Amino acid sequence: MEASSHASEGITKLMKITSVKSRAIALFSTTALLATVVIASPAQAAAVGPTCDAKTPIQTCVGTTSDGAAYEIRVPSPFNGTVALWSHGLGVSWPVSAGLLPPFPNGIPVDPRPNVAPFTVVGSTSSALASSILADGVAVMGSGFSVQGWNLDEAVKTNVELIGIFKKAFPATKKVVAWGYSAGGGITQALAEQYPQLVDAVAIIDPVAPVPAMQKLLMDALWLFKTYFDPSMKLTGYSAGKAGDLEATIDIGKMYSILASVSANLATGKWPATAGPSGKALEALGVPSRSAMLLCALLVGMPVQSASFDNINGPEGAQKLAFPYAISPALAALENFGVALTSGLSMAREWDAKFGPNWYDNTKTNFAAQLSESDRDIYTGALSGNTVIDGLLGVLNPANPAAPRLVGEASAVAKASAMYSTTGKITVPTIMMTGVNDPVPAASWIQQVSDKYAVQFAAEKAAASKAYQSTRQYVAPKNKLSVLWLKPPKNWTKFDAAGLPITQPYVAGNGHALFTQKQFKLMIDSAIKAANTGAVPSGGPLTSAARKAGLVIDKYSAYQYLKYYN
Amino acid sequence: MTRINRRTLVSASAVLVVAALTAATVPAHAAEVGVSSSEIKLGITLPMTGTASPGYNKVPGAMKAYFDYLNANGGVNGRSITLKVEDDRYVPTEAVAKTNKLILQDKVMALLAPLGTANNKAIAASVNPARRGVPVLFVNSGFSGFTDIKKYPTTYSILPSYVMEAKIMAEYIKDNFAGKSLGLLYQDDDFGSDALKGFTQAGITFAVKVPYSSGSQSGAGVGAGWITKLSAAKPDVVVLFGVSSATAVGLGTAAALKYAPQWILGSVGGDATTIKALGVPAGVIYNAVGASFAPATTDTADEYVKLFSDIYAKAVPGSAFDNNVLIGMNTAFVAAQALKAAGTNPTRKSLMAAIDSKGASFASAALIPLNYSKTSHVGYNGYWFGKYSPTGDLKPVDGKYVLYTTDSSSGAVVKSTWKRPAMPAKGLPN
Repeated sequence: MEASSHASEGITKLMKITSVKSRAIALFSTTALLATVVIASPAQAAAVGPTCDAKTPIQTCVGTTSDGAAYEIRVPSPFNGTVALWSHGLGVSWPVSAGLLPPFPNGIPVDPRPNVAPFTVVGSTSSALASSILADGVAVMGSGFSVQGWNLDEAVKTNVELIGIFKKAFPATKKVVAWGYSAGGGITQALAEQYPQLVDAVAIIDPVAPVPAMQKLLMDALWLFKTYFDPSMKLTGYSAGKAGDLEATIDIGKMYSILASVSANLATGKWPATAGPSGKALEALGVPSRSAMLLCALLVGMPVQSASFDNINGPEGAQKLAFPYAISPALAALENFGVALTSGLSMAREWDAKFGPNWYDNTKTNFAAQLSESDRDIYTGALSGNTVIDGLLGVLNPANPAAPRLVGEASAVAKASAMYSTTGKITVPTIMMTGVNDPVPAASWIQQVSDKYAVQFAAEKAAASKAYQSTRQYVAPKNKLSVLWLKPPKNWTKFDAAGLPITQPYVAGNGHALFTQKQFKLMIDSAIKAANTGAVPSGGPLTSAARKAGLVIDKYSAYQYLKYYN
Repeated sequence: MTRINRRTLVSASAVLVVAALTAATVPAHAAEVGVSSSEIKLGITLPMTGTASPGYNKVPGAMKAYFDYLNANGGVNGRSITLKVEDDRYVPTEAVAKTNKLILQDKVMALLAPLGTANNKAIAASVNPARRGVPVLFVNSGFSGFTDIKKYPTTYSILPSYVMEAKIMAEYIKDNFAGKSLGLLYQDDDFGSDALKGFTQAGITFAVKVPYSSGSQSGAGVGAGWITKLSAAKPDVVVLFGVSSATAVGLGTAAALKYAPQWILGSVGGDATTIKALGVPAGVIYNAVGASFAPATTDTADEYVKLFSDIYAKAVPGSAFDNNVLIGMNTAFVAAQALKAAGTNPTRKSLMAAIDSKGASFASAALIPLNYSKTSHVGYNGYWFGKYSPTGDLKPVDGKYVLYTTDSSSGAVVKSTWKRPAMPAKGLPN
């Protein structure tokens, strides 16, 4: 997932909504006219181009692949034979009209424009980053893809075609390095898994997890919001066409209202007015709404540290201990949900339209088992103790008629399951990077890939040792995976003079797909080195380079796997 | 065949002699993290400040007092023990950050007595000392789960578990308060769950149970709410199985409301110095029942109490020698023996192997044996009960220690006949 250029502003605004200084959000009007801000995706057509401007030192070429996806290529002179293929992250697949969502007053259009480098670069610009790559003699290219939303299958095909187009137009090409973040990280990973012969190395940044894990994470979270806070959220079974788009938009608005209400009532624990019978019963028992919000995050595996909330610092005075212990984790959950669930609902609508209503089934989910023992204990204060935890989990019991599960329809579920699911198997030199508190949450998936590869690499070394017995020649296997972690500072929550926490748009290691130019450049440079040597940089040189970029190599931390695999 | 001439032999002999002399003067080879030729570094995280700190914040000073004494007497195999102290304010995420600092930046050999169940779980989950091979010695938590070797392979408990404590308390209740109605205040997390498990196993039922969520005890009106619920059920005996700050709130509020059942205080919240520091007069806990596994801190006839209190008085003049100090110094003493048993070139692995193979025979001030073995990371497994004096000192009833021992599962509670061996000379590891 990735915020589009328009949505990134909205995310910043959304952060303000989730802070304790939030103002009330006016509910949007359901009678607002649907604006038509859609930039229509081209219909399927034959490949067009590339049409190049023949400029030096940077030549720019544009065209469309046979699926109608626009692409852009920039080639430096001199060109050293390596091209970096960038895949951008998730954009909405259906337009959100203006005036419906307060964080996005101008709406969110469907945006098919190509990017050749990461769109969001902390402290710099996409253009500056692209220029720095071009300055090394490396060409850059990227597609806008034929469809937006979860487009992994389509995007891989587009990229395959684009690689062919490039090689034909620039026969001096020797190496192809693919990279991407968020959904683009998933696309890049899928490309490497399905077409290892086409890419010489990949750099994967804050990637989405395999699609069943993402579906589970997002739909679990949305269902929990519906069950606890607003049973009128639809989540599935949207109407066809624009009417369904509007229904989904209304659901997004409801989600924002829930976040705002819980945030505004941290001290009293008051539940949103939209809470259903279960929520009202919990409220009557004295269960604070912030504990329910935190439980939602823990049940789906969402990190509970965020850009503004470290669960370490507290304001001077009586709340110095109580704030980080009992309040801050819920605020972090709010902040992270605000980042993740807009895209989540967008995908829920998209899949509903694509596969049919009731494409997702959670009738067999054991939510209680998804709360780890250590989370229950570590966050006991913020969850208000075992009795409250048990009460909150009790509501999720499948036998509770006030918490109806999502019942899948077999053919729709089958279609949803047929999308390509990344496996994490490493055959192409791969370098991965993530912020440890990414709300997607990429750290969980990268941890799993890293652990799997450790087993794979150990087996390769064992096989090499065994081969040595007969050949007397030890051929050391090449290390094909390095992982760089962006960790937050020791503590980072700040407070104003009144003791209220200050919203921070960026703190290293938090948020989604937020990295500096130095960090991105290290990734692409490392992938290019790997493309040339067949092995990823590792050991001292990479450790030193990573440290200079504010990153670490960490063999010992173990981030929780996604709940899908538990 | 090579002829060996005399000159060669002499030269070779000279080389051997020089090598022997050199080896004797070269300091012990130090190859392990946190171990140099002159020093072993250990690290501790606990609340030194914040509402959870009273009482606990005396532990590092107590440990250092013993380590300084040990160092002045040659240390462990010629190495001084240094304790790095990090304040986590009882916040689990801060415990993680501080532990990372101890391991990665300060490069300690082992963690010693990190405090708190939630904090230790956070450390296990996020810092992963098990994966890094870092020993976590003698955790300051009675959570029974930390003795699960599969889940926490490098962690060693020392305190009896809360399950054990509740089972033993139940036995004491049956022996001394049979037929009386009972009430319970407990912390609504793993600490409290362990206690409930123990009481249930022992067949104890409570007329009233009042849970409190950790951190809520300082809220306005909270204590009054507890006492209202407890007193409404009119129990004859009330067990306060919470942390010191919650125990203090309960006792102080009860005194103000003139509610005075027979109190039984759990070991975690029963430190009188801390209760007094939180504003509860000593008279309020007079005749309350309390539990300990170490000798009474006023028992100056006990050789450990005498030695440790002398050491502490010199190291931290003016500071009361209470249970937190005695247990802190005892933990340091046990750690010193473990380090000695780990060998002249100790490693993290040899340290853990030493506890596994010899830990059950380590000397200690406790009146209960240690239970370490290759298959057990359980430390102490029992308690004696006493009553608080008018000045708030816990003393065995009639001056006699009656020790009960048990396990964390379904084993029976038995009266122990174990006799503590004599203290090693000068209280130093032999």
